[in-house]
Amino acid sequence: MPIWNRILATVDEHESSLQAVRYLAGVLGGSDACRVRIMAVYHAPESNGHPAPEQRAEAAAQRKELLLGRLHVARQILVEARLPAYNVSTRMEEAGGRTIAETIMAAQRQGGFGTIVVGRRGVSKAEEFLFGSVSSSIVHQATDCAIWVIS
Amino acid sequence: MRDAPELLERARELTGRRLTRVRLVTDTTEFMKLESGDVLELEGRRFVLKGTEYEGRFGLDEQPKYWVKRALDWEDGSAKIIKLVFFEEFEMALGAFKVRCFRSPAKEARILALVRGNPNFMQGESLQDTAGNQVRVLDRIHGGPLDHHLQELECGHQEYFERHLRRVLTKLSVAFGAIGWLHTQGERHGDVRRDHLFVDTDSGAWPWIDFDYNFEFKQNPYGLDLFGLGNVLAYAVARRDVTYQLVQQENPQAAQDLRSEDFSLIIKNRLMNLRKIYPYLPASLNNVLLHFSSGATVFYERVDELMAELTPAIAELPEEED
Repeated sequence: MPIWNRILATVDEHESSLQAVRYLAGVLGGSDACRVRIMAVYHAPESNGHPAPEQRAEAAAQRKELLLGRLHVARQILVEARLPAYNVSTRMEEAGGRTIAETIMAAQRQGGFGTIVVGRRGVSKAEEFLFGSVSSSIVHQATDCAIWVIS
Repeated sequence: MRDAPELLERARELTGRRLTRVRLVTDTTEFMKLESGDVLELEGRRFVLKGTEYEGRFGLDEQPKYWVKRALDWEDGSAKIIKLVFFEEFEMALGAFKVRCFRSPAKEARILALVRGNPNFMQGESLQDTAGNQVRVLDRIHGGPLDHHLQELECGHQEYFERHLRRVLTKLSVAFGAIGWLHTQGERHGDVRRDHLFVDTDSGAWPWIDFDYNFEFKQNPYGLDLFGLGNVLAYAVARRDVTYQLVQQENPQAAQDLRSEDFSLIIKNRLMNLRKIYPYLPASLNNVLLHFSSGATVFYERVDELMAELTPAIAELPEEED
């Protein structure tokens, strides 16, 4: 059974994903009643797209570094908003063959998170059709937790 | 690569050409150096090259595809298409969007193994050369792409609708279902286009060809395939791409009634609301097309959602007359 004050906040490679964390900081600032996990989903570069192993490793390292940077900044935002540091954790999850939304939902179930916080970049209808929308997918998939979609 | 005079006689016999020399090739990395008459040896099997394939896309001049060769099987003389390893990375334009794509021999080899014996996909196998290149050896399909097949039907649109559309869409729905099945196997075609759907005149099947395009995805791995299916469907229904310019030219009054929401969500001048110019099309079929239009509020996310509406819509089409 998910616990309402266990919050899963997500960030990605876009700077705009930190907006959702800033909103969360504004809402929770100073509270020690919630535990927040900040999560980033790592998609390994397609092995077929980067046939040379060294190219692939370089692309993977760049991606991971970017996400780790986002996780670090997101944590700082929450701690600076006076959330106790011991209540804020970070984790990078590997998607494997899953979509980002599937990876986030799996983490939600596994961790018993009662709330998911996700940013919305405001993609167009066409982009959503072609490439999908993480926030829309999460809203559709979630059955037993609250979803905050921050635009 | 070495001269192989011992292969000359058989190569001449197979190709019917007066070859003066034959080279035996076991490493295909430098495919630009390959010539007609060369014999490839891959995992103990041999193929004699006959020439380079050309690709003409939607009326553009035919371009040589140096990494794709016409060939004959050394043993039985059957016609083959040989795709050599060519890593290419480029941006594919989809309306206003650009998608980073790359050719993936590994993906095509994987799908070939997956679809072996399935008449809805081209058939072949992947064989390695001595350098480890995954060379795809494909059975040549007798026939041509869907658009050529449809253009061969000599009739106006209304007659096409009354006499042929039901058969065409019934065959098309099998091909669409095959893409849906591919998705359930965790794979995507990657470049669903009307000229990548062949009409096999020997077997009557409509197999998909060319699965080597790949792209990185994060959320919706099948969106591009679905977009392609929508375009193929619209083409098959109209038997051409209907653009605003075309309607304006042929029927200026109808053009005045067209709205932006009648056109493709992605390709802004391609008409999806075809009923506005072909009023005899049933609403059920037109509604399927509208899911790919700018006016749509709900999109197909999976092929089975598309099929759930397309199948009953086909059942409403006129039966073919004898």
